[in-house]
This record gives sequence, structure tokens and C-alpha cells, in this order.
Amino acid sequence: MSSGVAVDLENVWIKFGDFVAVREANVNINGGDFFSFLGPSGCGKTTILRAVSGFLEPSDGRVLIGGNNMAGIGPNKRPTALIFQNLALFPLMKIWENISFSMEVAGASAKERRKRADELLDMIALEGQGDKLPSELSGGQKQRVAIARALCANPDVLLLDEPLSALDLKLRQHMRTELREIQQRVGITFIYITHDQGEALTMSDNVAVMKAGVIDQIDNGHEIYDRPATPFVASFVGENNVFRGKISQISGSEAVISSNRSGELRAQITPSQVGKMNVGDDAMMFVRPEALALGESDPASKTTVSAKVLNEEFEGASFSVFLEGDGGKQIKMAMPNLGQKLEGHTGETLSVHYDANNAVVMPAGELASE
Amino acid sequence: MSTASIIRIALFAYLAIFFSYLLGPLVVMSLTAFNSAAFPSVSPWACYTYEWFDVLFNDKHIKEGIYYSVIIGLGTVALSVSMGLAASIVLTQVWAKFRSTYYTLIIAPILVPGVVLGISTLVFWDRFGDFIRAGDGSMLDGLFHNGIFLTILGQSSFIASYCMLVFVARLQRFDPGLTEAALDLGATHTQAFRKILLPFMRPAIASASVLAFLASFENYNTTTFTIVKYKTLTTVLAQKVRLGINPSISALAFIIIMMTIILALGFETYRRNNARKEAVRLGKAKESKGFLPGFLTGNPAAIVLVLVSFVVISMIGTAQSYSPQQCKAEVLAAKKAEVAKAIKALKLKRTIKQQSDSLKGPDIFTPDPANKKGSFGGVFDPNNLTNEEPAKPEAPAANKKPASGAFGGVFDPNNLQKD
Amino acid sequence: MKKKMIFSEFFRNNGVIMGSALMGLVGFWLIFLVILPQLSMLDYSFRFNLPPADVGTAKDVYTLSNYEHLLYGSDKTHATFNTVDLMVFVRTIIAAIMVTLFNIVLCYPLAYFLGQSKGSGLARLLVVLLIIPYWINEILRAFALRIIFGDSGLLNETLMLLHLTKEPIDFIRQDIALYAGLGYAYILLMLFPMYNVIESLDRNQIEAARDMGASWTRIHRRIVIPHAKPGIVSGATMVFMLSAGALAAPQILGGPSSLWFTQLVYQWFNDSLNWQQGAAYAIVLLISTILIVLTVMRIFKVNMGDIGK
Ligand SMILES: Nc1ncnc2c1ncn2[C@@H]1O[C@H](COP(=O)(O)OP(=O)(O)OP(=O)(O)O)[C@@H](O)[C@H]1O
Ligand SMILES: [Mg+2]
Repeated sequence: MSSGVAVDLENVWIKFGDFVAVREANVNINGGDFFSFLGPSGCGKTTILRAVSGFLEPSDGRVLIGGNNMAGIGPNKRPTALIFQNLALFPLMKIWENISFSMEVAGASAKERRKRADELLDMIALEGQGDKLPSELSGGQKQRVAIARALCANPDVLLLDEPLSALDLKLRQHMRTELREIQQRVGITFIYITHDQGEALTMSDNVAVMKAGVIDQIDNGHEIYDRPATPFVASFVGENNVFRGKISQISGSEAVISSNRSGELRAQITPSQVGKMNVGDDAMMFVRPEALALGESDPASKTTVSAKVLNEEFEGASFSVFLEGDGGKQIKMAMPNLGQKLEGHTGETLSVHYDANNAVVMPAGELASE
Repeated sequence: MSTASIIRIALFAYLAIFFSYLLGPLVVMSLTAFNSAAFPSVSPWACYTYEWFDVLFNDKHIKEGIYYSVIIGLGTVALSVSMGLAASIVLTQVWAKFRSTYYTLIIAPILVPGVVLGISTLVFWDRFGDFIRAGDGSMLDGLFHNGIFLTILGQSSFIASYCMLVFVARLQRFDPGLTEAALDLGATHTQAFRKILLPFMRPAIASASVLAFLASFENYNTTTFTIVKYKTLTTVLAQKVRLGINPSISALAFIIIMMTIILALGFETYRRNNARKEAVRLGKAKESKGFLPGFLTGNPAAIVLVLVSFVVISMIGTAQSYSPQQCKAEVLAAKKAEVAKAIKALKLKRTIKQQSDSLKGPDIFTPDPANKKGSFGGVFDPNNLTNEEPAKPEAPAANKKPASGAFGGVFDPNNLQKD
Repeated sequence: MKKKMIFSEFFRNNGVIMGSALMGLVGFWLIFLVILPQLSMLDYSFRFNLPPADVGTAKDVYTLSNYEHLLYGSDKTHATFNTVDLMVFVRTIIAAIMVTLFNIVLCYPLAYFLGQSKGSGLARLLVVLLIIPYWINEILRAFALRIIFGDSGLLNETLMLLHLTKEPIDFIRQDIALYAGLGYAYILLMLFPMYNVIESLDRNQIEAARDMGASWTRIHRRIVIPHAKPGIVSGATMVFMLSAGALAAPQILGGPSSLWFTQLVYQWFNDSLNWQQGAAYAIVLLISTILIVLTVMRIFKVNMGDIGK
């Protein structure tokens, strides 16, 4: 199997008429990586993928695959294979013909094609089903055929456009593991598109989070989750409590904001903003529900908030506790289910506390709308 | 009586009127093909005969016309299907801003009168020949003045629009992602077209081809201008009909009607049979085990098709042996007596008519000598009818058959043409 | 600059070979079979009918004389109008409009009936019955009517048999045969577009209206007809254009004293061999019919995209 090839986007802009679908994208994807683009619907993920596979020329900037500039090279000449959002299996061809289509157009004999198709059918656990038509397969089977068809072309880079979005939850989880396994086995570069953060975080080596044509952050899953670079990333990936305010104090990578409603709060400055923030700036501080815990009121630590318990939801492995801080500030806290009971506390005012290392602060900006 | 039943009755009366308007003339025309009377008619039924079919099959103009119609039809299918397909593909890609302008352009030929298309094709290619200085006698010159070539171009100019409509309907259901997937897997654009789009479009191409062939085959308005020295079935027919009608044309119409019915039934049978097979495959219906062949099961169209074929075959069979000579002789005798009586009346009528016509203006209504070849002469020698030259008007009055008509064809087109 | 971009995008999407094939076919069609022929006919209509030797010489100049002939005839003083040809023109247009209206009235109930009983056995049978005459040659259909309307045709024979008339009625001279023939020739082009739009009307709309107590006429006026409008206008456009441009039916069914405008065009071309004059007449026919259609489409707020559905 071919080994991974690096893909680089240099300063890529893509416009449709006056509409800017992708703005100044700079991405370096290492060979053999599982790389994901994550973002809400319509943010330009497919558009980027189409520029990599060659269906679109960037209006500006360059796309490099294995260090070679791809300008002017059509999709049929690029070492990429794309798995389409709707799979795009050829409805009039049998499964094995679908899988070996890339060999057919290269002029391989029917015998060779059949042999290779059968190998791939084995790999995707569909042995003996080569003579069916796509319409006779289930959703997950079609999915695997699309993957086999793309792999049959021996691409250096496999591009996947939300391939799991049409599947039900169980199958989706199963296919995630399977995809990751296939990727490790063939060792080629996967570029994966999704608007499902769980998918992006579990499968990828690196994730790019996009918002309306702009890439906000590229990092591994941990960094994206723990150290979001922008309010959008912080609120789009996972759940977060946001506190707005102004920076009142900075010391190294740590800052204190004086929040509008909850007093002084201490947090780490997100790595990309260290040294760039000043006292008095509008800022936002984020702390995850699971980073909150009940504790003693300790205003001096600048890591406690007092809030009234509104209600709680039992979610099996954990509780979600909804609280109301001063001035009606909504706060959500997640607690592992250790057998404790909070029933009696509804209406009580409690003190909620967090570790400053688990909270991030950054310049104020737009949040992801739910 | 309740309103509902009044509505029902009105509805059925309306349907009856509509369909007799639509189908009645065709039925009457078909019947006239089997009446030995020389003027196509049903009411004074003379003798049941197949002779008009003989006349038809021996008519070399019609045969020649059919030959050229088929050649032109095939050429038109090739040209208009490819142009229509290309135009529909371009329509899916053309910039949103230009789309409506472009659509107007490619749909417009349907709305341009056929006469205008014929004339403009003729005029343009004539000049185009001059323009590129194709000298007389050269191959190009011959081409630009060749009726077959011009007719194919003239017909394709609007038949391509019909084809385009068929293709657009099908293309709407095509996922352009499939072509992209093929390209992505290394296919060239030509391969992607051949292996992905073309197979998808095949049913539409088949129906567009049939449509184009039929439209070409029955076109008259454009063809009559562009055909120049050649002739097609429609121009031959038009000329015959204008020069005077006889039942061999009914015979042709009958054949065409039967072919249409058999094709329509065959198509319906095929469709139902497929639907049934699909149902069997999906387990919704049982494989038939009765004594009927499978394709007849629950398929009225198939049963009617078998019946119609049976009738046609038995007709062809009897036609070989059946002879109406005896009946004709009797009819002839009866007619002779009648004719003698009618001559007087006719003469009188004609004088009156001529007088009144001459008052009306330049268009003179004169009995047409061409039609006199009909009636009796035709009974005895059918081949006379195919003769384009008008029979000599010897003994006009005696040779006419006032009651059953020769008069229907009296309008000699030559008289209509001014100057 | 922008054009260049469109073309390069087109070729990138289709490849050079396929792109050129598509462009070539569409270009050939639109330029060589539609636009240039129409333009050259227009050009022709402004020229004198010269002997071949004089073509391209100083005598070959533009002139309005071909159009003047339609207005004034051979009268060079322009004192009298060419009433014969003008009357033919007016009659053709008015008769084509009448034929169109007749077809609308005749087809609407059937289109409604078929559209609302879609899928039923009777409806399918009727559709098959409709399609059969559609494929019979225009000339043969005219011929069939001629058999019926002739002096001793079926209709006259029947009328005389029933003693409704003594003398055969001259349907042909009265132009009754012609109108019946024109109505007959294109009736399906009216029916099918109407049927298609009515079929797409949601039955629930009608039921809802009936539920609210609307009368049948109101349901048709307020719901069915507005919904069917594009189909009606599309069908009417086709029928009008084809009737005004018909040649076979008038030639076969027309009375001797009443010509159809296309027959004048035909005569200029094939009998008088005056192509320039014929082209001028054809242009008049084309432009006036298009203007009428565009006016109607504007009045009823229907656009070109609805034609041919
Ligand atoms: N061919 C095009 N012409 C004009 N605008 C386009 C075109 N293709 C995409 N867009 C626009 O670009 C933006 C990004 O589209 P894109 O398909 O990349 O979204 P996406 O991130 O893949 O969304 P989803 O998750 O829903 O698939 C959208 O606003 C879309 O409307
Ligand atoms: Mg997408």
C-alpha cells in the first residue's frame, strides 16, 4: 500500500461570485495523518475538499499534494480519492464493477478487476456480494463499498465528506472504529469532514475547526477541547460555561477577568493569545461543566462562583446540575454519578469552584449558535 | 334525478363527443380503405375489397417517398438527438444569469412556424453555398442544394428542441456527483460521459429517438420547402390529396393506425410485464402457474395485443384469396342506370355553380379534370390512380358519379394559385 | 475577461474533448440552424428579386418593396391597399385565435377529469386512446376530415338521410372543415400541458375549498385555473403558433376562395419563385405571431420556462 503523502493549503481563498466560501486557509497535513475538518453546516468544509480533489480551483493560493502544486491538474489526474457526502455509487453498475471502476477506466481486463474487487470485498466483509446492485445493499454496506471503491484507486490521499452522516447511531459508532482501523492498515492520509465533534475528536490526529469559511484553530483533539483558541471553538466543541468581562490583571499565561455578573475570575490565557492581551480588553472565560465542583466559598482564590440550584438531570454516568448565578447567569455543572444525592438542594445557594488550569480566557468574540 | 347523475351523464356525453371528434375521422378513414368505391366513402357501401392495398403497394411515388422519409428520419434522429442532448447538458451548467436567455433560445424553434423554418433553412444554405464559393457542380454546392441534406437540417432545427425537453426531464434526476465520482476515480471526461451519463440517459435517448423519428416522418410544413427535388411520404401524400383523393391513401392510413396501435399496446404490455416481474421478484405477486403464458397474466394490454395481431393476420390471409369481382359487377350495373339519370341534373347544377362562382372573384371554382380519373376507371384498373397525370377529360359527364362524389376533389389546387 | 473565465470553467468541468463536442453541437444548432437562417431570411426580405446575374451588382440594394407589396399590392402609388393579402393575414390571425380558444374550452374539462382521476383504469385507457391519433400524420388527419366533410362525405350523407338538409352543405367552402381540421390537428398539444399541471394540483386543496363551501365554479376560478395557468398558456401558445403557421390543413381543407397566410408564402416561394417576397411575408407572420404570444404571456404573467413542460 502506498504510504501517506502530505497535503498543504497555502493561503487558499475560494469565492463563488462575490461570496467568499473559504477565506485564507493555511493547513499543513502530515503524510499518513487522520485529519478532520469540523464545522457547522455551510461553513465551507465540502468546498475545501473539492479544492483538494480538483473539482474547484482556488480563487487564490495554492494546493500542494506531496509538495507538488496542483494548479491546473484535473480531479482525474490527482492522487486523491473522494468519498462523497451521498456516496455517489453508480446505480446501474454491480458492486464489483463499482469497486473496480478506477481499473476499468485505466484499461484493466475484466478478470483482473474481478480479482481485485473480490479482495476488497473481503476486506470490507462483503464477500460474495459483488453481483448485487447498489440499491440492494443496506446503508452501512453501501458505505463500505464506497470506501472500497475509493481504495481500489490506490490513492495517496483519501478524502471523506461526512460519510457517516446518513447512518444510525449504532452503525456510525461501529463505522468510526472500522474507518480508523482501515486508515491504520493502509497508512495513507485521510482527510475527513464532519460536523459531528465526537467523530472528529475520537478519530483524528488533528482537527481544523471552521466557522463561516474561516479556520479558527488547528490542533489535536485534546488541545481543541482543553485550550480552544476562539470563543467559537470553545462553544462549538463540547459544552462550556461562558463568562464575559474585562481583563483586570495579567501575569504570564494567567489572567483575571472581572466578569459582568460573577465577580473576579482567574483562568489560563489560551496559548495563541499569550502576550497579546492587555488589561481592559473585552474577554471571555470558559470553563467546562465537568471542571466545576461544589466547594467552600473562597473569593480570594478568584475561582469560585455562588449560584442557586435550579434543577438537575440524571444522565446515567453523570448528573447535570443547572444553576443560576448572580444576575440570572446560567451555569451548568456535570458531576460523576458516585451515588450521591442532591435532591434536597433545589433552591439553595451553593458555592461552585474550579481549577484555574482548567479554565481558558480569550478575547471576546462570536459564539457558536446552538 | 340527482345532480350527481346529471353530472355523470354530462361527463360521459362530453367524453363521447370528445373522443368521437378525435377518433371518429380515423375510424371512418380506415373503413373507406375497404370500400371499392373510388372516392373514399362509407355510406354508399359498394363492395368489401382489398384492392386499395394493392394500389398502395404498387405506387412507386409512395414507395420512393417512404424511402426518403426513412433516410431523412434517421439523419434527423442522429442530428437532433445529439444536439438536444448537448443542449440539455449545457443547460445544467450554464451560468444562472444566462439560463433563462439560453432556455428561450433553445425552446424558441418549437414556436417558430414550420414554414418559416423551412424558408430560412433554404435561404441560408443557398447563400452559404454562394458565400463559401462552392462553385457549381462541386460536392459542397451539391450538398447545399440537396433536398435531403437541407430537410435534415431544417427538421433538426426544431426537433432538437423536442429532444432537449425529453433530456432535461431525465437530467433533473441525474446526480452530477456520479460524474464527479468517476472523474475522481481517474476516468477522463469522455469516459465519464460514456460510462456514467450515457447509460443513465439511455431510456431518454430511446424515447427521444422515437419521438424525433416520428416528428420527422410526419413533418410537412418545413419539408415542403427544403425538400427541393426529392419527395418524402408527406409531400407525396399532400400532393395526392390535393390533386384528388382515393382510398389507397386510406389504406396507407389504416396501416399506420394499426402499426401505432400495435406499438402502443406492445409498449404497454412490455411495461406491465416488467412491473409484474418486479412484483414477483419482490415477492409481492406469485409466479403464475395457469394455462396462460406468463406475460398475459393480469395484462389486458397483452390480451388486446394478441387479439389485434390475430385480426391483422387473418385479414392478410383472406386478402390473398378474397375477390370482390362479382359484387362489383352488380354495383356497376346499378350505377350505370343511376348515372344516366343523374347526368341531366348534374349539368344543370354545374351551370348554376359556375355562374355564381364567376361572380365571386378571381378564385374560380371549376370541376377538376384530375378527379375524373376516379370512380369507374379506378375500379377496373387500380394502377391508373397512381398515375400523376390527370386522366384525359374525355366524356367527362358520363364518367362521373354524382351521388358518391368525384366532387369532393374538385378543387384543383392549380386553380387556386394566382398569376 | 469574465467570458474567458466562464469558458475556462466550462472546459475544466467537461474536459477539452467533451467540452468542445458540447459547444460544437449547441453552437452549430443555435448559430447555423436557428440564428443565421433567421437573419438571412430577414436580410432576404429586404432585397429585390433579381436574376442571378444581377445579384451582388449595383442593382442589389436594400428595399422595402416586399413589405410594401403586402400593404399596397402592385399599386405603386400606394393609393389603395392590398386588401386581398391583408384580409388573408387578418383572417389567419383571428381564425388561429378562435381555434385556440375553441381548443381551450374543449380540452379543459377532459384535462381536469384525467388529471383528477390519475391512475384509474379508465384514465389510462383514455390517455392511450389520445396518443394514437397523435402519431397519425397531419396530412392523413386532414384527409380523414375531408372524407367526412366532403360534398358526399359521411356528414352530408347522414344529414340528408335524416332529411335535415336537401342539398349537400359545402362545408369546405364555408371553411367549417378547415376550422374543424385545425382544431383537430393540434388539440393534443393543448390537452397534455393542461393535463400535466392539473395532475400536479393537490386534491386536498379542492377538498379544503369545498369544505369551506365554495361552489364548483368558484373552485375552478380561484384554485384550479390559477394553478393550471402555465399549462393553459403553454398549450395555447403552441396551438396558436402551429395553427397560424399551419400549411397542410389549409391546403387540404381550405375552401377555394379563402387562403391561409402560409399559403401565400408558399405561393411566393414555389409558384412565383419570388423568395424575397416570400421571405418578407414569412417575417411578417413570424413577428406578428411572436408579438401576440409575448403579449399574452405578459398579460398572464407566464414566462418562457413554462413552455414545453
Ligand atoms: N457552487 C457554488 N456556488 C455558490 N455557492 C456555493 C457553491 N458551493 C457551495 N457554495 C456555498 O458555499 C458555502 C459552503 O458550502 P459547503 O458545501 O462547503 O458547506 P459544508 O461546510 O460542506 O456544509 P454541510 O455540512 O452542510 O455539507 C455555502 O454557503 C454554500 O451555499
Ligand atoms: Mg458538505
